[in-house]
Amino acid sequence: MTPEKFRGVVSTVLIVGVGISAALIGAGFLAALAIGWQGSLIGVTHAIGYSTADFGGLPGRLAALEPAAIAQLGLVTLLATPVARVAASVVGFALERDRLYTAITMAVLAILLTSIFFLR
Amino acid sequence: MTPQADLGIFAISVAAGLIGALAGVGGGILVIPALTFGFGVDIHLAVGASIVSVIATSSGAAAAYVRDRMTNMRVGMFLELATTTGAVCGALLAAVVAPGFLYVLLGVVLLGSAGMQVARMGEEAPPTDQPSPLAARLRLESSYPDRRLGREVPYSARRIPLGFVMMWIAGVVSGLLGIGSGVLKVIAMDGAMRLPMKVSSATSNFMIGVTAAASAGIYLGRGDVDPQIAAPVALGVLTGALIGARLLHRISNRSVRLIFMPVLVAVGLETIGRGLGFGL
Repeated sequence: MTPEKFRGVVSTVLIVGVGISAALIGAGFLAALAIGWQGSLIGVTHAIGYSTADFGGLPGRLAALEPAAIAQLGLVTLLATPVARVAASVVGFALERDRLYTAITMAVLAILLTSIFFLR
Repeated sequence: MTPQADLGIFAISVAAGLIGALAGVGGGILVIPALTFGFGVDIHLAVGASIVSVIATSSGAAAAYVRDRMTNMRVGMFLELATTTGAVCGALLAAVVAPGFLYVLLGVVLLGSAGMQVARMGEEAPPTDQPSPLAARLRLESSYPDRRLGREVPYSARRIPLGFVMMWIAGVVSGLLGIGSGVLKVIAMDGAMRLPMKVSSATSNFMIGVTAAASAGIYLGRGDVDPQIAAPVALGVLTGALIGARLLHRISNRSVRLIFMPVLVAVGLETIGRGLGFGL
């Protein structure tokens, strides 16, 4: 991969990630303005409110088109954007056969994934 | 939360993003006092909301700089080892330190940022020093296109261990306060490592998103990223920063910073006052 192409890929990952997350967060926010944060766009009602720390229930709440769940998906996408940028850099440096920087970017990726999945 | 409060948080975040962009600091540093003082939001939720807005604004800006070859991706990736480790430490520490300490630290960073902007009013080209052997081994030497000078400017890095330690500290501050700590990153690259100012700013922006992601993961898992607050804040700060970036092209950097410096100083003093328990 040429350095120009490498930069192009990194730049595109960032723009697409921020674009998608901003669209989701915006959609969730507008929906919340219309029906409130506890509501559902298709009228499904939950007995209990959402928990900000529980992501296991997110798919079900997304299926119910809850504004809070749509915004949360956008926030998760936003968090994933720099992670995707680092992952793309690992591949880029590997294709450039730059062993030192492949190792450095893999270490950064490992720190990010550890913090996201294992640390509270 | 009521729609009025939702729109209020959005509006105040737009203002924070706009003033932050015009004053040359991130939006997070202003949005945290605005949320806690203005809307009575718990400081941990304000920090959680701010940190995700930092990812949004820095990633958007970084995309353009990377394409323009202003960013040194090797310098950025290497120093991210330090900032992400620091950010993790900061986010873990934030849960155990007293809120008063967070306010005082935030205020000190605000005042320091204001001081840095004044010091940077007269910007000059960096000296072309002898590169360090470590810089050569880490392949940190490069060049960037300078439009004003109309030529490629070659550069290399010096005092790398010092820069690395300063970056770790910048990471801790970012993780503790939910801010980008771009000013500290620029001081490490421009001041300690003697990289050109423009490369330092662009590379700092590139690194901020990854630094923020390291602590944002912890805040998210802890439940401190409440969509009710984080959604309007992220949208608002991003909108404000985009408007600010447009406006900056039309007005002089210098006068804008002079106008907003008193704002930073006032917010900084107010924040320290709150932290020490003197509510105004």
